[in-house]
Amino acid sequence: MASKFGLAGGIPERRVRPIWDAIDSRQFKNALKLVTSLLSKYPKSPYALALKALIHERMGKTDEALAVCLDAKELLYKDDSSLMDDLTLSTLQIVLQRLDHLDLATSCYAHACGKFPNNLELMMGLFNCYVREYSFVKQQQTAIKMYKLAGEERFLLWAVCSIQLQVLCDKSGEKLLLLAEGLLKKHIAAHSMHEPEALMVYISLLEQQSKYNDGLEVLSGNLGSLLMIEVEKLRIQGRLLARANDYSAAVDVYKKILEVSPDDWECFLHYLGCLLEDDSIWKYFDNSDQIHPTKHTECKFSHLTEEMFDSRISSASDLVQKLQRDTENTNLRGPHLAEIEIEKRKLLFGKKNESTLLESLLQYFIKFGHLACYASDVEACLQVLSPNKKAEFVEMLVKSSDSVSASATKVLGQTTTILKVQELTGFIFELPLGEIEASAVKLAKLYCQNLPLSKDLDPQESMFGEELLSLISNMLVQLFWRTRDFGYLAEAIMVLELGLTIRGHVWQYKILLLHIYSYIGALPLAFERYKALDVKNILTETVSHHILRQMLESPMWVDLSNLLKDYLKFMDDHLRESADLTFLAYRHRNYSKVIEFVLFKQRLQHSNQYQAARVEASVLQLKQNADSIEEEERILENLKSGVELVELSNEVGSKTLRFNEDMLTRPWWTPCPEKNYLLGPFEEISYCRKENVNKDREVNMKRAIQRKSLLPRIMYLSIQCSSTALKESVEANGSGGDLKIYGELKVLLEEYTKKLGCSLSDAVEMITDISQGARTSESLGSDLVDWLTFAVFWNAWSLSSHEHWHVLNLLFERLIMDRIRSMGSSDMNSCYSDIQVLVQIITEPLAWHSLIIQACTRSSLPSGKKKKKPQHSDQLSSSPMSQAIKESIQCLWSTVQEVSNWLLSQMNNPEDDQVERFLSTLKRNEDTGGPGQVLGVLESFIASSEESEVGNRIFEALKSWSTADSARKTVVAQQRLLREFHQICESKSKLLETLKQQLSHV
Amino acid sequence: MTTIRRFSCNDLLRFTSVNLDHLTETFNMSFYMTYLARWPDYFHVAEGPGNRVMGYIMGKVEGQGESWHGHVTAVTVSPEYRRQQLAKKLMNLLEDISDKIDKAYFVDLFVRASNTPAIKMYEKLGYIIYRRVLRYYSGEEDGLDMRKALSRDVEKKSVIPLKRPITPDELEYD
Repeated sequence: MASKFGLAGGIPERRVRPIWDAIDSRQFKNALKLVTSLLSKYPKSPYALALKALIHERMGKTDEALAVCLDAKELLYKDDSSLMDDLTLSTLQIVLQRLDHLDLATSCYAHACGKFPNNLELMMGLFNCYVREYSFVKQQQTAIKMYKLAGEERFLLWAVCSIQLQVLCDKSGEKLLLLAEGLLKKHIAAHSMHEPEALMVYISLLEQQSKYNDGLEVLSGNLGSLLMIEVEKLRIQGRLLARANDYSAAVDVYKKILEVSPDDWECFLHYLGCLLEDDSIWKYFDNSDQIHPTKHTECKFSHLTEEMFDSRISSASDLVQKLQRDTENTNLRGPHLAEIEIEKRKLLFGKKNESTLLESLLQYFIKFGHLACYASDVEACLQVLSPNKKAEFVEMLVKSSDSVSASATKVLGQTTTILKVQELTGFIFELPLGEIEASAVKLAKLYCQNLPLSKDLDPQESMFGEELLSLISNMLVQLFWRTRDFGYLAEAIMVLELGLTIRGHVWQYKILLLHIYSYIGALPLAFERYKALDVKNILTETVSHHILRQMLESPMWVDLSNLLKDYLKFMDDHLRESADLTFLAYRHRNYSKVIEFVLFKQRLQHSNQYQAARVEASVLQLKQNADSIEEEERILENLKSGVELVELSNEVGSKTLRFNEDMLTRPWWTPCPEKNYLLGPFEEISYCRKENVNKDREVNMKRAIQRKSLLPRIMYLSIQCSSTALKESVEANGSGGDLKIYGELKVLLEEYTKKLGCSLSDAVEMITDISQGARTSESLGSDLVDWLTFAVFWNAWSLSSHEHWHVLNLLFERLIMDRIRSMGSSDMNSCYSDIQVLVQIITEPLAWHSLIIQACTRSSLPSGKKKKKPQHSDQLSSSPMSQAIKESIQCLWSTVQEVSNWLLSQMNNPEDDQVERFLSTLKRNEDTGGPGQVLGVLESFIASSEESEVGNRIFEALKSWSTADSARKTVVAQQRLLREFHQICESKSKLLETLKQQLSHV
Repeated sequence: MTTIRRFSCNDLLRFTSVNLDHLTETFNMSFYMTYLARWPDYFHVAEGPGNRVMGYIMGKVEGQGESWHGHVTAVTVSPEYRRQQLAKKLMNLLEDISDKIDKAYFVDLFVRASNTPAIKMYEKLGYIIYRRVLRYYSGEEDGLDMRKALSRDVEKKSVIPLKRPITPDELEYD
C-alpha cells in the first residue's frame, strides 16, 4: 500500500510524523497548526482531514471533529484516485468510534471494500467494524469473502466464530451450526487443520450440536495431536464421553488423569459422576453464566440398584486408596477429601453411614485441620449432615484437638478451623450466651498468646491467628443480636480496629467493620474502611455491593456520586473497549476467547448493579438539585425528559439480570444487601449465608430498577401538569391541561404500581387507608419510600382533588412521625435504620412533592421582568387548590421541623459525653459477664506485652492503640452523618418557607 | 486438591478474595483481556473444592533470538491456600509451556527488591537474580529481574548475572 513508498495516506511520511508526535505528546494546538498547514498543501487529502478530526476530538471539540469527519467521508466517496487506504480509514474510525458514530466508520469501510473488492487489508478493517457493532451476520459474510479470497484457515475460523455467536447471542437457528461444520469439514479435507485453537472451536461446534461421538472421533484422529497438553486433551475426551453417556469409557479417561494428577478435584468429581452414571454435573456445562460456586449436593441415583451402587462405590474406594498410597509422602489433600466425598455419596444414596462419614471428616481434620482451607474444603459435605450429626461432629473435633500435642501453629490452626466449622454448621447459633462469651474470651487469649509467633514475619505476610479476630467479632455481633446489648457491637469494633492497628492489610477486618459501622450510622467511617479496600476495576462490580446500598440511602451525596461515577466509568469503558479486545483475540487466532469475550461483555452489560447504578446516578442528580425547579428542569432536559430511562425500564423487564457480586465476602448477618438479620429479632437462623440468594433477588431487583427508572419521566410529566394546574383551576374556560401528558402520566403511574405489586386502584386504596390509620405503615413493607413516591405523583396527576392533597399530607405526617416516635430518645447506635428511612423520605418523595409545589406556585408568580400581578391573582390566592397547596406546605414544613429537632437533640450532646457513653457500654462487670471481657483480655495483654516478646513492629502498634480514640472516631462519624442530614432538612425548611411567602404574596 | 485450568473471563468475577489481598494488583480489564487474547496458554487458574479460586498465574512469551522467553507477569495465591506449594505448581506449568510448547530459552519475572518472602520463594524454584532494575516500580522502588534457564539454553547463558544495575529505559520489553 501507499505507506510502502514512504507515503502515509498519500502524503510523504516526513510531513505527517511531526503531527503524530505532537498528538502523542498532547500538544494539540501545535498539532492543529501543523495539520492546517498540511491541509493548505493537500486540501483534498482525506487522511489530512482525518488527522484534523482526530486532533479536534482530542481537544474535546466533538462537533468540529464530526464535521471534519463528514468532510473526509465525502472526499473519500468522491475521490477516484486510489487514496482510500487503511491508514486513512482506521484513523477516521478511531475518531468516529470516540464520537459514538461507529456506523459512519463502517459505511466508509464498506464503501472502500466495494471499490477495491480484493483488498484484504480493507476487508479486515470492515470485519473489525462489524466486530465493534456486534453484527455477527455481517462478520460472517465478510470473513467468508476473505476466506474465499485468501484461502487462509484463520478467516474460515472467523466465520465459524461469527456463526457460533449468532446462535449463542442472537438465538439464530442451530442449522447455521451445520453450515459451519460443513465449511470446516471441507477445509480440513482439502488442507487439514493447523492450529490447536481451531481444533477447539471445531470440537465446541460439534458439542454445541450434541455430536459428542463426532467430537471424539476428531480428537482421536490426526488432528488430536494439535493439543499439546495431554491432560487438557484427556479432559475434553472425558467430557465428550460423559456427555455421550459412554460412562465406562469416561471413567477410564478420568482415571488416567487422576493417575497423572491425583490432586485434580474436579476430575475426581467427574470420575465419580461417570462411575455412578450421574449426569447432573454436566447440567451447567453449557451455561457459561455459572460463576457462583456449585455445591454438587444434587446427585442422581434413581437408575442404580443397590448392588450396582455398591460395586461402583467400592471400585471408587479402591482407586482412592491407591491414590492415597501413591501420594503418601506428598501432603496432597485430594485423595483424602475424595474419601469423604465417597462417604457423602453413600449417605445421599440412603446408606446409614453417618458415623463413617464423620470418622473420615475427623481423619481429614487430623491431617489437614490446621490448614486455613479445611472448613471450605469440607463445606459441601457438612451441608448433607443432619443437625444433630453436625453438633456431634463439632464435639468430635473439639475432643480430638485437645488430645493433640502438636506445635503452637498447628494448635492455633486447628482451633481456628473448629470455630469456622461451628460457624458453617450454624452450630454456633445454638450455643447458650455464656458459652459463646467464654469462647470469645478464650479465643482472645489464644490470639494474644500466639502473637509472638508473628514476631519475625515480614509485614507483608499474614500473621498467625489473624482469623481469630474475625471469628471473635462474628461472635460478638451474634451476642449483640441476641441480647441487644450495644456493648457487644462496640466491642466487636474495638477488636477489629485493634486488629487493623496491628496489621493494616487484613481486608476481612475492613469488610466486617464497614458493615458494623453502617449498621450504627457511622457511615463516613464505613466508607473510609471501604476505600481502604482499594476497590478498583473489575472489583467495583464484585465488591461495591458492600457499601453501595447504604450510600444510596444516606445523605453522603458527594461520596456517593464519586462511587457511582467510578463504577459506571469502569463499566462503560469496558463495554466500549471490549470489542477491540475481541478483535485482538481474532487477530491472534484465539477463537475460543472471542466467544468468551462477547458473552462476558453481555454478562456485564446485564449486571443488575450496573442497571441500578445508571438509574441511581440520574436520581442522585435530581435529589441534589430538587430545591430549584429550574435546575431540576435542566437536569431532566439532559436526561431527555426521562424518555431514555423509561426505555431502560422496558429493557430491564425483557432481559435476564445478571448477578456478578461476590456475596461470599459478606458477613453472616447480611448475606445480601437487602437482608440484615440484625434489624429483626433473634431467631436461630437456619444457616443460609452461603446459599445462592440471587434467585429471589432477581424479581425484586428488576421491579426496583424499573420503578426507579420510571421516576424521571413521571417527574417531568408531573411538572408539566403542575405548571398549568393552578391557573387552570380558576380559569372558567381552562383547557384542562394537555390531555396527552395526563394520559401518559397515568399509564406510567399504572406501570409504577404494577412494579409495586398491585393495580393502580389498589395502590390508591392502600395509601388512603394508611393515611387514615385504617392500616399501619408496616403494611408497606420495605418499599415504603416507593409507596410514598407514588402518592406524591398520584396527587400531581390529580391536583384539583383537595382530598388527594389531604391524603398525601397525612401520609407524610404519619410515616415521618411513626419513625420519630419509634426512635424516641434512643441514640444513633440503635435507630439508624429509622434515620435511613427518614433520609430517603425527605430527599426523595418529600423533595419531589416540594418540586410539584414549586411548579404550581411558579405559574402564579409575577413573571420576572414585568413585575405585574398576573391575571386572576385574587382568585388564585383564594382558590381551593391554592388553599390545598398552602396547607401542604405547612404540613411538610412542620414535619421536616420535627425531624430537624430530633436531629438537633442528638447533635447537641457534647462529643465528650457521647464518647463517654460509648465507652461505658464496654465497662465490664466481673461477676455477671457481659460485654467488655474480650476487650479486657486484649487491653491487659497490651499493657503487659514486651518488645522482646512480640517484636518491635507489633509492640509499637500495640502501644499506639487507644480504645477511647476509636470510640471518638465512631462518634465523630455518626455526628458527621447527622450534620449532613440536618443540613438537608434545613434547606428543605428554607425552601418551604420561601414557597409559603411566595404564595402569601400572590 | 487443585484443578489447574485455563483462566477465563468469568474467573475475573470469582477471584475477589484473592485480589482483595493487598499484594495482588487488580489491573484494568484491557490488561487481563489482552493477556487472554494473546497468550491464553500463559494464564491459568487453580480451583479448589466448591469451585473456589485458590490462585492464578498470568504471563506471556516474547523476545527475539536467544532472548525468546516466557515471562511471569503475576502469580498469586489466596492466603487461605498458602504454604501448600501452589505457586510452585503454577510456576512449573508456565515453565513447562515456555519450555515444551514455545521452546523458549528462559523464563523471567520482576519482583520488588523489598519483597523478601517472594524472592526467597523464587530462589527455591530455581530463579537467579539476573539484574537489578533501578526504580522500576513507580519510579521509586528497585525491581529485581530474576531468571530461570530452560532446556533450550543448554549452556545457561541467559542467567549469568549482569554486573551493573540497569534503568527501566534500558529494558528490552515492558
